[in-house]
Amino acid sequence: MESRRRLVRLGSILAVPVLWFVASRFGLIAGLPTPVEVADAYVAELYRDDFWISTIQSTIRVLASFVVAAAVAVPLGLLIGRYTIFADLTFPALEMLRPIPPIAWIPFTILVLPAAELSIMFITFLGAFFPILLNTVQGARGVEVEYPRAAQSLGANSYQTFRHVIFPGALPAIHAGMIVGMGLAWVNLIAAEMVAGGTGLGFLTWSAYTSGSYPTIIVGVITIGLLGAISSALVRLLGDWQIGWTEPRPN
Amino acid sequence: MSKHDDPTDDASTAEPAPDTTGKTGAIALDNLNKTYDPEGEHVVAVEDMDLDVAAEEFVALLGPSGCGKSTVLECIAGYLEPTEGEVVVDGTPVTDPDPKRGVVFQENRLFPWKTIKENVEFGPRMHEGVEEGRAESILDEMGLDGFEDAYPSELSGGMQQRAELARLLANDPAIMLMDEPFSALDALTKEIMQKKLLEVWERDNRTVLFITHDVEEAILLADRVAIMTARPGQIKDVIDVDIDRPRDPEVVTTDRFTELRERALSVIREEAERALEQEDGA
Repeated sequence: MESRRRLVRLGSILAVPVLWFVASRFGLIAGLPTPVEVADAYVAELYRDDFWISTIQSTIRVLASFVVAAAVAVPLGLLIGRYTIFADLTFPALEMLRPIPPIAWIPFTILVLPAAELSIMFITFLGAFFPILLNTVQGARGVEVEYPRAAQSLGANSYQTFRHVIFPGALPAIHAGMIVGMGLAWVNLIAAEMVAGGTGLGFLTWSAYTSGSYPTIIVGVITIGLLGAISSALVRLLGDWQIGWTEPRPN
Repeated sequence: MSKHDDPTDDASTAEPAPDTTGKTGAIALDNLNKTYDPEGEHVVAVEDMDLDVAAEEFVALLGPSGCGKSTVLECIAGYLEPTEGEVVVDGTPVTDPDPKRGVVFQENRLFPWKTIKENVEFGPRMHEGVEEGRAESILDEMGLDGFEDAYPSELSGGMQQRAELARLLANDPAIMLMDEPFSALDALTKEIMQKKLLEVWERDNRTVLFITHDVEEAILLADRVAIMTARPGQIKDVIDVDIDRPRDPEVVTTDRFTELRERALSVIREEAERALEQEDGA
């Protein structure tokens, strides 16, 4: 039973290159390069410095923006989730800004921020910030009132209650937010790089489009997908390590 | 009306005389009132309640569900502020939670993100610091040796409850406030826990306020059983349990136990009927 499921799943994965090959070989989608052409282009890109610089640049932008977003959103979310006065002061304003898609800010930030780099980072930051913030608020509010009460009756002060009860209690929700946030960070990064130009995988893919080199476009897409998958896996790994207590371990 | 039959209902006992024995953990509820206003609906949970619990006494608070038992406990713990009146512990009015007043909750409230040992060491770590080996010896006493590094979710219900008791004992509170701590356990585990609690209480001399809706449990464990009225909660009657200690679960078969149980049950029945009428009238 289990092995049959595995076979079906493998088939699902293999279907992608097979359909791609069929579609490109028989010209079902005009201009779609074949897997072989893309593989050739990929190897060529691996020898170009520009490809590596773009890859590293995009990775650094995502990681830096994500870390800053988490470092701001988690403490802010915990405070909003626990203190009514803090929530009333900040949350309405944040809720007003949240529905604006981060990409909509691109032209404005390019104009007002001193460097395109800052603009790209800011857009990426926004992508990660709101999902982490909202999940942290939810997580902090979801901690059963009896846990902080138990801590206080054991002698914990407000800070200790926060540190040892509210924060760990909210962690599962925080990690759910981080997984979504990491995905949206990549979405916004690529869009910002395409518009702001200069460097990065988004720009590399866009300039391949403007120069009409179809295989290189696909190389960019695949690389972005791979990096996105790796960063999600890293966030998950961090989560498993930090919230291992949510799942009973086999003894 | 029965309020005045209550031997503890005397204005002079609301402020207990200074304890000359050096014992700590005396609780006095002085005209305690607690009302809630969820969405404009006025609910009187506790009304004009007086009760004195002497230092190192074991008192069971017995009453029908929804009578405000838990509200009383939350006021004593310092989680809720009384609407009127006050809770006085060792001569000082209660304003906030304090490690002197430990609480065991109805559902297990071990911190799921901490191991059993970390849970037990939590209290000491928060104030004076952890004494090496103390958590182990308490866990050992509770029959939980070997589970120091387990997470609460890996333990059975009875073990979780023992671990929670261990966490409380490690913090050495003068008062133990217990809110139906054994109500979710199966009969056998419950009996083991009751025995364990009596053992610990008879040795350590702490004050215990034990909330329950189980008449037999109340009589088996307590020095006095305070029976509450249906909402709004007041003390209807206080029964002295004059059964020798140490007690074991066998005492439930004695004539004296049966007598006390019948007396408690008749009070509760009267209250339950009154509560039903109230609901019909509403």
